[in-house]
Amino acid sequence: MNWIAAALVLILLVSLPFVLMKFGKIGEYWVWVSTEMIIMGLFAMSLNLILGFGGMVSFGHAAFFGVGAYTVALLMKKASVPFYLALAAAPLVAAIAATIIGWFCVRLIGLYFSILTLAFGQLLYMIVFQWYTFTGGDDGIHGIPRPEILTPTNYYLLCLLIFVMCFMLMRMIVNSSFGLTIRTVRENMERSKFIGINVRSYQWLNFIIAGAFAGLSGGLFAELNRFAQTEFLHWSKSAEPILASLVGGMYSLVGPAIGAAVLMFLKIILQQAHKALIETWAIVLGCILLLVVLFAPSGLVGIYRKVFSKSE
Amino acid sequence: MTFEYFVFMLLNGLSQGMLLFIIASGLSLVFGVLRVINFAHGSLYMIGAYLAYSLSATLTDGSMLSFLALLVAVPPAVAILGFVVEVTLFRRVYREEHLLQLLLTYSLVLILDDVVRVIWGGDPRNVARPDLLAGSVDIMGLALPTYNVFILVIGPVIALGLWLLLYKTRTGNIIRAAVSFPDTLGALGVNVSRVMTATFMLGCWLAGLGGVLVAALASVDLGIGMEKIIESFAVVVIGGLGSVGGALLGSLIIGVGITFFQLPFGRWALVFPYLVMAAVLIIRPWGLFGKPER
Repeated sequence: MNWIAAALVLILLVSLPFVLMKFGKIGEYWVWVSTEMIIMGLFAMSLNLILGFGGMVSFGHAAFFGVGAYTVALLMKKASVPFYLALAAAPLVAAIAATIIGWFCVRLIGLYFSILTLAFGQLLYMIVFQWYTFTGGDDGIHGIPRPEILTPTNYYLLCLLIFVMCFMLMRMIVNSSFGLTIRTVRENMERSKFIGINVRSYQWLNFIIAGAFAGLSGGLFAELNRFAQTEFLHWSKSAEPILASLVGGMYSLVGPAIGAAVLMFLKIILQQAHKALIETWAIVLGCILLLVVLFAPSGLVGIYRKVFSKSE
Repeated sequence: MTFEYFVFMLLNGLSQGMLLFIIASGLSLVFGVLRVINFAHGSLYMIGAYLAYSLSATLTDGSMLSFLALLVAVPPAVAILGFVVEVTLFRRVYREEHLLQLLLTYSLVLILDDVVRVIWGGDPRNVARPDLLAGSVDIMGLALPTYNVFILVIGPVIALGLWLLLYKTRTGNIIRAAVSFPDTLGALGVNVSRVMTATFMLGCWLAGLGGVLVAALASVDLGIGMEKIIESFAVVVIGGLGSVGGALLGSLIIGVGITFFQLPFGRWALVFPYLVMAAVLIIRPWGLFGKPER
């Protein structure tokens, strides 16, 4: 049953750009929007590996997104590396960054973990911001080359393919013994230690995996916009996947992706309704968030808890 | 570097640190009692700065008296805003997990910052310094703005006031008790939720005061809230979450540190707070003045 639903959704998603392309310029714009939704969905899902499954609130996840974006931008612009190689490098470089940053961060728990990820994220942001000669500072890097084969539709399909592959991979990870251990640690860290789980190394590895996926999404995002800028690493960018996870549902794999898509859709609709309304987007987003925090945790998170405790 | 120049830079850095202390102490105080890291603290500070701008635009004479009027009027206004926010929103999430609390305060950042943008627009603003504080003071041959001296005086006054309040009054005893043993305090018949509201208002008052002070020091734009909240985080982490004394030390380290790092490193000095914050978290996560939890 689930497989049939998944196949149907997939068919719909694959045929989407072909339908949209029939609508001329507006259709092309929506293909672009859908591509961004997929990329942001991947970013949100990557964070959720540590947030929802690991119970670690990272406020510096955008650092890896940004590292991925800059990897693609710098390799393609300055070293003329072909897109596919640059894209493959993005998760690797992000994973290296996550290895170093994660090593320090997993030594702390709770709020202190959050603040240290924030500090490291901002540290990277400042480095990118200040290092004009290498990263272009606050100008960012513009004019990333676009291979001719990547028309908007093809780029959409490429992103969808990568998204589906990452989804399958994350599914395997989450359901593996590694994934189960990570959830055990989330539920009860003390007990996990007592039964002999090396909590830190599991969290560290999880942090690296999440960073790698974030790097991949950042690389895709840089190529989509054909630029990379410092805002990609800023801590307010780190908040985006957290919000998406909260809205979509933190304890499912695909929830954050749905949350990201819904939030983006709302934003675009608001923008389309009236140009001036985009100024108030943050107010709308803030209010949605307030409602979710105040009423839906006894909704989304809370319902999950109820279901979970019943099945125990 | 000559000795005169060193003293000059030190005073400059100290005045930056004092301003930061006024803001960060509010954040720390609120964390200590409410156990919530208030991301919106920076937004409240920014609102204070813009309120000061609007009020000063109506009191155009630029005299010391009208500046004092700003100092008296704006911080309580921010405190009242804090009262509304605490009673309607914060109070609902004290028993929730950290993530929800953080997200609640973050949603406030989104809302408040955008409301400020809608009301005041994106142009930089500033408050003219009152004539009495507009000049400069001669410090061993170098001109230090009188206004910086004013902040150098106000900072310690606030620190002393907070210390007297927290350690020499009954109210202070109750606040400190609420930090350590809120349940016992409640059992003794103290209305703990009222203590929390009052502490939150005090924190907002400090944010508002910082806002007024910065409005006449530098130009005010939509980014100052975000900028200061991160610096305040650094301060509070360095000093220890919830410790006002730690916030003083942390502020001075950050203020003086940035000023001196600017000499050899230029704009790279802005990396300094994050470096110190990361270093403290790695070596001594509970901060210089804090106590390890658990």
